[in-house]
Amino acid sequence: MKKRGCLFLAAVWMGMFLTGSGWAQTKQITIALGSEPTTLDPQIREDGGERAVNDNIYDTVLTRTREGDLIPSLAAQMPRLVAPDTWEVTLRPGITFHNGEPLNADAVVYSIQRVIDPDFNSEQISFFSTIKAARATGDLTLHVITDGPDPILPSRLYWLKVVPPVHSKDSRFAENPVGTGPYRFVTWQRGQHIDLVRNDDYWGDAPQIMAVRYRFIEEPGTRLAGLMAGEFDLITNLLPEFTSHVPKSVNVLGLEHPIVILNADSGITKDPQVRQALNLAVNKMALANGLFEGYAQVAQGQLLSPSFFGYNDQVTAYPYDPDKAKKLIEGAGVKGQTIELIGTSGRWLKDRDLVEAVAGYWEQAGLKVNVRIFEFNEYLNRLFDRKTRADAIFVVSSNELLDADKSFSAYYKAGGVGASNTDSTLASLIDTARSETDEQKRKNLYHQAVKRAYDQAYFVWLLNIEDIYGLSQRLDWPGRVDARLLVQEMTCR
Amino acid sequence: MTPPRTDTLEQALAENRFEWWDSVCELGRELKRDKPGLIGVILITCLVLMAVFAPYIAPHDPAAQDLTARLAPPVWYDKGTWDHMLGTDHLGRDVLSRAIHGARVSLWVGAAVVLCAGGFGVVMGLMAGYLGGRTDAFIMRWIDTQVAFPGLLLALIILAVIGPSLTTVVVVLALNGWMVYGRMTRSAVLSIRQSPYVEAAEVVGCRWPRILFRHILPNLTSPLLTLGILEFARIVLAEAALSFLGLGIQPPATSWGLDVAMGKNYMFMAWWLVTIPGCAIAVTVLAINLVASWLRLISDPQEREKQFARHMAKGMRKNMQAENDKERQPETS
Amino acid sequence: MGRFIYRRLIHGLIVILGVTVIVFVVTRMVGDPVQVMLPLESTPEQRAAFEKKLGLDRPIPIQFMEFMGNMARLDFGDSLWQKRPAMEIVFEKLPMTILLTVVGIGFACVLAIPLGIIAALRPGGMVDRVTVFGSLLGLSVPQFWLGLLFIVVFAVQFKILPTSGAGTPSHILLPALTMGLPTLARLVMLVRSSMIDELNRQYVKTSFAKGLPFVRVVGLHALRNAGLPIMTLVGWEVIRSLAGYSVVVETVFAWPGIGLTAIQAIEREDLILIQAIVFTAAVCVVVINIAMDFIYKLIDPRLKLT
Repeated sequence: MKKRGCLFLAAVWMGMFLTGSGWAQTKQITIALGSEPTTLDPQIREDGGERAVNDNIYDTVLTRTREGDLIPSLAAQMPRLVAPDTWEVTLRPGITFHNGEPLNADAVVYSIQRVIDPDFNSEQISFFSTIKAARATGDLTLHVITDGPDPILPSRLYWLKVVPPVHSKDSRFAENPVGTGPYRFVTWQRGQHIDLVRNDDYWGDAPQIMAVRYRFIEEPGTRLAGLMAGEFDLITNLLPEFTSHVPKSVNVLGLEHPIVILNADSGITKDPQVRQALNLAVNKMALANGLFEGYAQVAQGQLLSPSFFGYNDQVTAYPYDPDKAKKLIEGAGVKGQTIELIGTSGRWLKDRDLVEAVAGYWEQAGLKVNVRIFEFNEYLNRLFDRKTRADAIFVVSSNELLDADKSFSAYYKAGGVGASNTDSTLASLIDTARSETDEQKRKNLYHQAVKRAYDQAYFVWLLNIEDIYGLSQRLDWPGRVDARLLVQEMTCR
Repeated sequence: MTPPRTDTLEQALAENRFEWWDSVCELGRELKRDKPGLIGVILITCLVLMAVFAPYIAPHDPAAQDLTARLAPPVWYDKGTWDHMLGTDHLGRDVLSRAIHGARVSLWVGAAVVLCAGGFGVVMGLMAGYLGGRTDAFIMRWIDTQVAFPGLLLALIILAVIGPSLTTVVVVLALNGWMVYGRMTRSAVLSIRQSPYVEAAEVVGCRWPRILFRHILPNLTSPLLTLGILEFARIVLAEAALSFLGLGIQPPATSWGLDVAMGKNYMFMAWWLVTIPGCAIAVTVLAINLVASWLRLISDPQEREKQFARHMAKGMRKNMQAENDKERQPETS
Repeated sequence: MGRFIYRRLIHGLIVILGVTVIVFVVTRMVGDPVQVMLPLESTPEQRAAFEKKLGLDRPIPIQFMEFMGNMARLDFGDSLWQKRPAMEIVFEKLPMTILLTVVGIGFACVLAIPLGIIAALRPGGMVDRVTVFGSLLGLSVPQFWLGLLFIVVFAVQFKILPTSGAGTPSHILLPALTMGLPTLARLVMLVRSSMIDELNRQYVKTSFAKGLPFVRVVGLHALRNAGLPIMTLVGWEVIRSLAGYSVVVETVFAWPGIGLTAIQAIEREDLILIQAIVFTAAVCVVVINIAMDFIYKLIDPRLKLT
């Protein structure tokens, strides 16, 4: 009797083993994310884990190609400007949510109103801050009204996930998402995994992969172990050193730019010659190839990637010229003086390493560098301190709107949270561009702004970091500029 | 043997020194009998020397980065060089030098915590045991309450708030670990208090601090020493765990636990990054544990008796053998 | 007996109160949770509004009174990080830690008792020496390192067990083994020394002389008498694990238990979740302590409970 019980237990145990490993079969993939979503409501949090899952469940009004160009998604065509502050959006006909609710102008208007409602208190509000109202003008057409001209509204609509008006009022909506996307939600075992399955009624091209499981693992080493053990098919944020050790890897130029903000108003960095010298002194190529093993590009003298709106391809990076840097430093009479460089550790990929490498180059140019690495909270105090700006602050800027406006308002424009200059010419260029609806004129304004900041050397532009993904042997995926993990673009052998 | 004369102070001192040396010799002889203990003592001596002379032994500055020589393997690999005998880490720092300097942090934290926690715990225990009454009740309640705290969680929170550093790690670990000493000291004091010589001292009119520190405390040295060494091993592990979790020693300082945490991301391509500091921790703690178990053996009267019997038996066997040999000798020659 | 329960309960309340007050004081010293929670580009007005929403702008005594009220109702409010009730998160994670603890320590007990007895039968013998040295080694190897070693060997090299996470029974093996090994080492040492003492007692010798079977004498009489210190150690190990020592194992294996959640909450400066976790841990410790006293009483009715 007892023996039989044991046998039974063993059988159950073995059975569970098998179901555990059974997931790794054809057309079903497992993706390891760095953090578990805290909610699956697509409009409330600004959270990478949530986004990675919901990007496959929900559609947005506009989307981007893999290279970053805006194209219609739920919209039938690109939004049209009908008045300086009004955009008209026309939707594709015949789309329904996974639960059968129709996708129409009312659903989009509802979604806009939901996310901009101050009581809803969405963390994504910064993406939609200029939208004042939305109203349906037909079954499939609507007007989006902004507070003044807003040329980057299309980029904002790229962030707007459309939620079903009826189901989203359900109190369990945050655990039971329903969208129009290529995958539907199956289950969420908190702390363990989220499962999605292919939506066979999808309006777009049918995806090849049948089902996705998301796992949540904070430690990069543990994620890597899982990939190498064959448990995962895709992991994010692979360290550059491992590209030769994983079955496959994909790298795409990402949205992150490490820079050093120089204080243009006081201290030894007040002299433009010194600021230029600080740029010339850094061997950016060596940083990209040494620290990042080639998985980073040299930033071309601007806080923008080539895929961003406003990128000026006439401006190129300051060359590495240590002799000229030394001469400029001597010429400015600051040789041997101390410059304070502030950074933090563990927040961004190789942040501390970058700061220390930059400090090393500056010392070679004839300055004493006082590197101060602060714990993140304390670091933020220094970054936001408007009264006493440090000589040089290291920061990594990330721009999800792929438009110059966001980066420039924060770091280039006088008074921005991370700006260390009081250049009114630059500020007015950025302000004018902000409300300029003519695309070409706006582009020109940003080109001028890029040039001016470059000539004045308000920053030391370092790199543009590539996102690296580790893939299992059976998964194929080219990667995306905007770092979205769209399973519909993946194929699996 | 003539009885020692203690006419002058110098002579008395010389005599004393002789006795002291004698007991060290005796300890040495005991040690020779206990092989694991001997290994432990040798290892610890090496570690302490290594920690003290770290800057002279280590071939490189443990914090010196060299981005061109990152993740170099140990010397026995094709790509390894004698310059970095045990390879380099992800920032090109010398693994051997970091391991040597890591000993400093581990031993320093261990010693500091044992001294702080032990000092405080012993004083509390002495007071509770000797003064009794309300003081005793209060201190024991306090100990009982603190023992029931989820200590590690509180430690993590306090470290996160105050900001982790060498000093805060020591303070937090000491705050967490003084209760053992307190309890042990108190129970020992309670039993010693009844002994005739303490009563005699009381009758003579000694004040209580004098009785505590001159008469009672010396009797506690041996159990306290054993406890302290065991705690030392525990603290070395605790420091490593805290540093591993990122709430202990902070870079650019070195600590074995920190090195394992940083090396863990690279463990599939550079096994030496986690293995070497990990082994360093294990060897250190093992050595301390070996010494502690040896000390426990020689300070426990029962165990000593057994050992003595075993030793005597061995000696007798040897003697008998020798006598046999002697008897046999004439025959062979 | 009633008096005993009463005293233990009062003491338990003092412990819980003490812990929560410490956590309250300490977390209010946190530099500024607001700054970390909001994105880099937020304006000062947004920061002020957020602070107000959390109630962090009010005087500390008022915050404290409210906090005590919340504690009594077991409602600490919504976690800042997950935006849902903190206690809900705790109740979700706690069973995972309990599962890990039970399997890990259970495995240690199952192995430790026979190993300890075998070692005790011939003290100084070969088996004994190997066991003692193995235990010392088990006590000396840091847990986080052992866990990493297991991952590399069993999950990546041999691919027989999963690297991390939870879900199937096979997921629990490596973390439980890592968690149980130091416990196993401590238990073996204790079982061995208590059994040596017991086996030298007169009653054991008499029982053997009377011709009672070996298993009966050792397993029933000697082990039962050695049970008290063994129980104490096991209880202590359970307490340790629930009181946060599981955090190391849970971090290494991404095991979704209370320890991992605690360290995540600390990293994100989620005061509310931290408070809920520490409170729960303190309650667990107190409850297990009281339970242990009752078990003592069951094992050895001679004990006086005071």
